[in-house]
Amino acid sequence: MNIDEFLDPTILIVSGKGGVGKTTVAASLALVAARHGRKVCVVEVDQKGTLTKLLGGRSATYEPTELTPRVWGVNITAERALAEYLEVQYHMKRISRVFTSSHFVDYIATAAPGLEDILILGKIWFLEKGRYTEHNFDTIIVDAPAAGHMLTFLSAPMGLSDAVRVGPIKRQAEWLVEMLRDPKRARVHLVTLPEEMPVSETLETAAALDGKIGISAGQTFANAVYRPLLDENEQSLFEEIAADGSIDELCKAADRVGLSLDGRDLEALNGYAGFLQSRRDIQADHLARLRKGKGGVIDLPFLFSAGLALPDVESLADVIEAEVASL
Amino acid sequence: MNPINELVSVKEIIVCAGSGGVGKTTTAAAIALRAAMDGKKAAVLTIDPAKRLASSLGLKELSSEPSKVSKAKFTSAGLKPKGELHALMLDTKSTFDKVVLRYAPTPEQAERIINNRFYRNISGTLSGTQEYMAMEKLYELHADGGYDLIVIDTPPTRNALDFLDAPKRLTDFFESRVLRWFLLPYMKATGGIMRIANVAATTFLRIVKKIVGAEVLEDTAEFFSNLEGMYDGFKQRAQDVAALLKSDNTSFVVVTSPAEDSVTEATYFATRLNESGLPFGSLVVNRVHPSFGEPIDVTPRQLRRLQEGDERDRLLAKLLINEDRFRGLVHLEEKNLKGLARRIPRHLWVRVPYLQTEAVDFPGLIEIAERLFDGEAEAV
Repeated sequence: MNIDEFLDPTILIVSGKGGVGKTTVAASLALVAARHGRKVCVVEVDQKGTLTKLLGGRSATYEPTELTPRVWGVNITAERALAEYLEVQYHMKRISRVFTSSHFVDYIATAAPGLEDILILGKIWFLEKGRYTEHNFDTIIVDAPAAGHMLTFLSAPMGLSDAVRVGPIKRQAEWLVEMLRDPKRARVHLVTLPEEMPVSETLETAAALDGKIGISAGQTFANAVYRPLLDENEQSLFEEIAADGSIDELCKAADRVGLSLDGRDLEALNGYAGFLQSRRDIQADHLARLRKGKGGVIDLPFLFSAGLALPDVESLADVIEAEVASL
Repeated sequence: MNPINELVSVKEIIVCAGSGGVGKTTTAAAIALRAAMDGKKAAVLTIDPAKRLASSLGLKELSSEPSKVSKAKFTSAGLKPKGELHALMLDTKSTFDKVVLRYAPTPEQAERIINNRFYRNISGTLSGTQEYMAMEKLYELHADGGYDLIVIDTPPTRNALDFLDAPKRLTDFFESRVLRWFLLPYMKATGGIMRIANVAATTFLRIVKKIVGAEVLEDTAEFFSNLEGMYDGFKQRAQDVAALLKSDNTSFVVVTSPAEDSVTEATYFATRLNESGLPFGSLVVNRVHPSFGEPIDVTPRQLRRLQEGDERDRLLAKLLINEDRFRGLVHLEEKNLKGLARRIPRHLWVRVPYLQTEAVDFPGLIEIAERLFDGEAEAV
């Protein structure tokens, strides 16, 4: 797939179960888009600022701030979105403070489930249209709430436009439905880990998106995939050496370059190689399950750096570019 | 003595807490399983509707009432439990209904609340409800279930602290002055003074009505007026639950992985437990990458020469690189965990390494239980 085609929809929604690396993928996608000349806005939804920090910025605010060249960040909360909505829709600047107390937003969320999500999606719509902001973003990347919640998040406008019969809210909910269902404007990418539960949930989520919610799913990102260590020849050589007990062959090889390995070192080498292999075997089953689903799967490598910083995000962005091209 | 082993022998309630995706549910189930093996009547109460846990326990599904794990499940794994293992899942709605039935002055009033539309939305959306009801269910099980040990995992809140604040948040919400103030015109029998005060509220209402619709407002007002008189009951119960959690019968087990964000959350959580006077019991460090020995020192030059050598040399080079990567990871994980040791003394830690198989079936749970109970406590 051409990278421009991949980046064609303005809104890229990145979603997945908690702890699968959704935020890392969102950050990497932001870099990919920026590298291809887009002015990017990354959107966190009521978060602690992990995404923006990953991109080298401070915690994001409701107003866009530049994190790294061409990448801006915002943090949308339902409270602020409600305040803005009241201000632009009803010119209620002063009183909106009372409305936006957390109890009131809790009340709204309970009285009319989905309204909170709609306020957030509404702000994303504003950003897409370039309204009430001085910026004009080419790409908006949304780090969406965790999966179970995500389906309710994305289906909120459909629910509301069915429930309300007339009035401005009805019309606005319909605008959001149009935005989400148009594959030229919005695309949902799912992130998962090659493990039992995350894969099952991803397959369920993808089916639901396609089915009852009617939003076209984009790619699935399988995160933290262990890359193979040995090629086929090396693997059979390794097995051969291990099987006939001639493991000290490796000691001799080491000796020749001035490295002295004892039995415990060989055990360690063997232990780590075996550990990697057993984890890869587990992952392979789950990756196969994932590939049986619809849509392309992009494997992202396990990062031994474990710490998450801009260089990790850069290297994942490299992988995404290469993988997209080979789709 | 292994800290988990010790807790199970003396406590009646174990609360497993920690951020999402670190294996809380599995840990909770494994602790209860082992307690059952050792002769206790144990129950695991899970918040997560994990189908996998049900099937790994040989249950069709988990319901809101305890189901007993069959003896056959144990026998087929070659085990003879001296006690019993029960499992159940939190059903927020039905637990809340019970609370309403208990505190409503009349059955009619309870019914009015339960049929109210605003009330029906509460269990699904209002933040704090799930946490509050988890505590409620725990209290009920402890009081009436006849269990020796109840193990509960906590809801996957974004912030582990939400869990501790939940009962207060929920009772505050019900008593919120802002809400009552603006709903007053919709409530029956408001006095003259109230009406004057509410002239300002009408502008407010007009807009809310536009946003959520008049029906919704009426539903809410009806809900709140029906709730009058029940706050004291709610509050009392919240206090009882808090007292139970702080008692000697209870212990908190914090579950974490060695990943940075998860460790940060665990550190914060341990601090909060301490500040809130809640009894901390043990730290479970899950998903630790195993170490297979002392580091091997290779110079870049040696490595390069191996990479340029024959097939056997190249094989060795790759094995050395692999060792170096995992070794680096083990080192990083240790570094992440180091800060936690300042908060939680190491003799309270138990480590569960990444196993070479997945802990998704009954034997997997048994293996986790073995690691939890038989693993040595950390050397100080």
